[in-house]
Amino acid sequence: MTPSSRGLMPRSAFPQLQSAHLESRGVHLSARESLGIATVMAKQGQAEALRESVRKQFGIELPSGPLRAHRAGVSFVGTGPDTWLATCEPGSNRFAGPLAEMIGEVAAVTDQGDAYAVLRLRGPRACEALQKLVPIDLHQRSFRQGHAACTVAAEISVIFWRLENDDAGSSVFELAIPRSFADSVWHALMAGMPGG
Amino acid sequence: MNASDKAPRAEQSASAEYTGATVLHQPNRLAGRGMVDRTQPLSFRFDRKRYSGFAGDTLASALLAAGVQLVGRSFKYHRPRGILTAGSEEPNALVELRSGARQEPNTRATVVELFEGLEARSQNRWPSLALDAGSINSLFAPLLVAGFYYKTFKWPAAFWEKLYEPAIRRAAGLGRASRSGDPDTYEKTRAFCDLLVIGAGPAGLAAALVAGRAGARVILCDEDFVLGGRLNLDRQEIDGMSGRAWAQHVEAELSVLPQVRILRRTTVFGAYDNGMSGARTLGAVERVSDHLPQPPNGQPRQRLWRIVTKEVVLATGAIERPIVFGGNDRPGVMLASAVRTYINRFGVTPAQRMALFTTSDDGWKTAFDLVNAGVTLEAIIDPRPQIAPALASRAARLPTHALLGAHVVEARGAHGLHEISVQPASGSMLRFTVGALAVSGGWNPNLGLSTHLGGRPRWSDRLSAFVPRDMPRGMTAVGAAAGSLSLGEALQEGSRAGAMAAEAAGFSVSGLNPWRTDDEMTGVTPLWDVRKSRGKAFVDFQHDVTAADIALAAREGFQSVELLKRYTTLGMATDQGKTSNVNGYAIMAALTRRTIPEVGTTVARPPCSPVALGAFAGLHRGKHFKPTRLTAGHAWAQERGATFVEAGLWLRAQWFSSPTDASWLETVSREVSAVRSAVGVCDVSTLGKIDIQGPDAGAFLDRVYINQFSTLPLGKVRYGLMLREDGFVMDDGTSARFAQSRYLMSTTTANAAKVMQHLEHARQVTWPQLDVQIVSVTEQWSQYSIAGPRSRRLLQRLLGSAIDLSNEAFPYLACAEFNWDGVPVRLFRISFSGELAYELAVPARYGDSAIRAIMSAGQELGVAPYGTEALGVMRIEKGHVAGNELNGTTTAGDLGFGRMMSKQKDFIGRVLAGRAGLVDPQRPVLVGVKPLNAAARLDAGAHFLTPGDPATLENSQGYLTSVAFSPTLGHWIGLGFLRNGSKRRGERIRIHDPLRGGDFIAEIVSNIFVDPDGERLKQ
Repeated sequence: MTPSSRGLMPRSAFPQLQSAHLESRGVHLSARESLGIATVMAKQGQAEALRESVRKQFGIELPSGPLRAHRAGVSFVGTGPDTWLATCEPGSNRFAGPLAEMIGEVAAVTDQGDAYAVLRLRGPRACEALQKLVPIDLHQRSFRQGHAACTVAAEISVIFWRLENDDAGSSVFELAIPRSFADSVWHALMAGMPGG
Repeated sequence: MNASDKAPRAEQSASAEYTGATVLHQPNRLAGRGMVDRTQPLSFRFDRKRYSGFAGDTLASALLAAGVQLVGRSFKYHRPRGILTAGSEEPNALVELRSGARQEPNTRATVVELFEGLEARSQNRWPSLALDAGSINSLFAPLLVAGFYYKTFKWPAAFWEKLYEPAIRRAAGLGRASRSGDPDTYEKTRAFCDLLVIGAGPAGLAAALVAGRAGARVILCDEDFVLGGRLNLDRQEIDGMSGRAWAQHVEAELSVLPQVRILRRTTVFGAYDNGMSGARTLGAVERVSDHLPQPPNGQPRQRLWRIVTKEVVLATGAIERPIVFGGNDRPGVMLASAVRTYINRFGVTPAQRMALFTTSDDGWKTAFDLVNAGVTLEAIIDPRPQIAPALASRAARLPTHALLGAHVVEARGAHGLHEISVQPASGSMLRFTVGALAVSGGWNPNLGLSTHLGGRPRWSDRLSAFVPRDMPRGMTAVGAAAGSLSLGEALQEGSRAGAMAAEAAGFSVSGLNPWRTDDEMTGVTPLWDVRKSRGKAFVDFQHDVTAADIALAAREGFQSVELLKRYTTLGMATDQGKTSNVNGYAIMAALTRRTIPEVGTTVARPPCSPVALGAFAGLHRGKHFKPTRLTAGHAWAQERGATFVEAGLWLRAQWFSSPTDASWLETVSREVSAVRSAVGVCDVSTLGKIDIQGPDAGAFLDRVYINQFSTLPLGKVRYGLMLREDGFVMDDGTSARFAQSRYLMSTTTANAAKVMQHLEHARQVTWPQLDVQIVSVTEQWSQYSIAGPRSRRLLQRLLGSAIDLSNEAFPYLACAEFNWDGVPVRLFRISFSGELAYELAVPARYGDSAIRAIMSAGQELGVAPYGTEALGVMRIEKGHVAGNELNGTTTAGDLGFGRMMSKQKDFIGRVLAGRAGLVDPQRPVLVGVKPLNAAARLDAGAHFLTPGDPATLENSQGYLTSVAFSPTLGHWIGLGFLRNGSKRRGERIRIHDPLRGGDFIAEIVSNIFVDPDGERLKQ
């Protein structure tokens, strides 16, 4: 009765990433393996208390609508009425528990750290590559830094948001994909990669 | 080329088709004219014969340069046909392009860009273009009138499908598509802008430039590969520079404006619904690689654009009208503007000796350009008795016969135009020997897109044409598309529309550029039908509809445009009647003594130009038609050689064959035996999992399940059944209670999304007062069922001291959350197989690692992975219901769960489940059956009959839903629904399968075949 000798090892949802050489195509992809993710839903009549709690604990003003607010590695993305997707870097699947304790009884917290595989896209043609997947206008003028969207990409429900431009002034997006669909999204993304 | 040598040439080309002869000479290429690149010669083949052209040519211009006028045979009469136009409205010059898997029928030679090695073939002819056996149809032409098929092939009815239709289709089809899979890729993308400008002629360029300069986001689309539209075919000046130079100038400026995107080779083919924010969606197809021999690596062949825009400027120009006269379909009869295009843009004349037949001032431009190009112009025939004095004085200087008040009554020639007969205003018939005739009957605004959302065009008497009306909100027509035919108007309207669009999007425009142009004469007096004409006079070239067909329709009462269209097929070809509809309506108007507005017009629907189906499919081909969901253990299952089955979008391991298995049935039986005798492991991650939290979570579950969950102790799991509102069963599964106000529900794989929606509706709409929060966690957890008498030992080896698995500490229907190897995991003691069994859930990133660890921990215990098939066999052996039984027509009572329906509480479906029909004791209920002959094989779907009863539907007592070969019992077993089944145990029943032929006697037994008392679960 000895425990298994081999410990549990995480496996990336994007095993193809290492062999994908995309820099020449103007898109840099990275998997956000250590991002902690949790759904936070305010309990009935507790939305204000939740806002206050998040303000106090994280110094973050919870956004209303499809927006992302962040501070010091923690972010909250509005995904529905009184519902947010909280992320933490680093967090993996050890973020939801502590988050629930910090927030207290005012919200239901559910670990989604493994439910979403998150890809970061940046580079001069990141916008073009992502635009082939999502039906949302990604132009700087309409989808600005801090904007987020729950939408479909290649017929798959996804959540994505725009981060601040990188040092070279290129767009940076993060795309949260339900893990079982990671392969299909990868296929769609690669098939639509700008020619190179 | 002299027309008199036309016939021998044609025969020569017929034989050349079989010898692969080469024609590199371009007898009709004009020196020093056009925009083709003469430093880049290209060779291509048409009907196997080799020709040469230049970069910048279309297939049509290169064929004309080589002296080829005959390019195809017509649809119905197999008449020789040539090139009528120089654009996408071409009805005649349809060719098969490329070969092998890339063979594409019905491409328009007028828009096919020439590339090195291009291969094209004429269509609808046999054995060759010049000697077409089908042209015998022409002799029967008096029979092949409108409605011929309806009237002729109506008897006997059975002959239609078997004989008539296949034969007619063979004779009348157009090109042939490749039968191989398409080797190319297509992609879809989206674009958003303030202003979409459709057409990059002078009006479109002006609109794009004004809006682009103001800072608006502009997309400018043109179907051509060169911007400029009419500026490339007319010799007109803007601000003292040639029109072509002006277009290049504007293009250069547009291409450096960061918010402007130019899409060449892009056809906007449809206007679709308006968005909520007032934005409109249009569809466009970009021919990314069609001008290349094959798409470069990584590039799609075509790209489908969905363009969402605030404003649309329709600058699609106008399409010239042919004139309906005898023999007007002879190769060599061409639109005057097309002739001008070939001369000025491509440096090609259709023939060395020509004539012009025009009812418009614009047509005269072609005369001036032909003479300027050194082509012999035999005559100008203008039916108008008078023309504008300015035009007349210019015309007087032309070395040609200008015949006013005259008509061309016939065009003749075997395979191409040879001679025209002209009826002058007075005197006897004149004949001219010409190789080509330019024809201009005025212009029709190209307004198809303006009607896609229901707009009805308006007739303009001044223009003798329909112009856009009732435009969709935000769409503005400018220039020729709006009926403003002069260059000056086009520039003015274009820049005004561009400025308005920019201002609507919040940008300010400072002063408009007053571009200067010469005045133009645009007068026209239409001549709809040359009454005295001889021979067939065509209205719709692509569908072979003649003036006589329209007269027939008028006589037979099909006088409404919609009936005219359907009876004669006028305008129903792939060109949507771009060159034919208005002529057809006008002829109908004259015949029925109505005005054209009284006759009316049909409206166009998208796509306004044919679009390859591949472009609509995009990436969604084959297995990528829908996305695929893979569990975290997929790669491991693949390594183990699993056979996968589709379960909705999921791929699940169906079984794991071993090389020694003789059949899939042997594999499955082996997997079942391993579970029943040792231990097996199955990936059950695909089942739906829903996290339910909140103080009212228990009360919420009481209302969605038929049984109680608020009473479920902590750390326990309970089976639950939920109904739809209408009282039928919706889904089943288990729910576990991890905390006072926290449950985890599991659903079937098939119903995961439906149950989630159902719960959301219940939470948000039905009982918003309940404090309950739900989140799908299906994706979060990778879950494995570990089943069999040795499952506890396996888990003890695997988990060690992380959890006490003794029967006392962790009994049947227990659940726990704990850390294993530093990872939060969950364990449930539940069983679908009927054996001692557990389900272990790990965060999905560890799913791959976990299954490998399970297999390694179970190696000495004889662990075997099992798939959905073995899972199914074991649940049938245990009488558990699944999708076949939860089929939307069964009640809880039918499934044997009638007593589970709580009487202590209300729940969804309770009231309607009490309807008389749903509680009828005669309803078929779940039973087990076993054939008396142990070798008999059951098939699901077979009907139950009382032995001795005739096999009729009225006598059916119910049906088999699930069957399996039970390796545990050694024979086939089945589950099914039988009338009054609970009282018929031990009876004999006839199992009758008229579909597959099975017919034998079986015994009605309990639905639980294995371990009826459930002792194994609790060991």
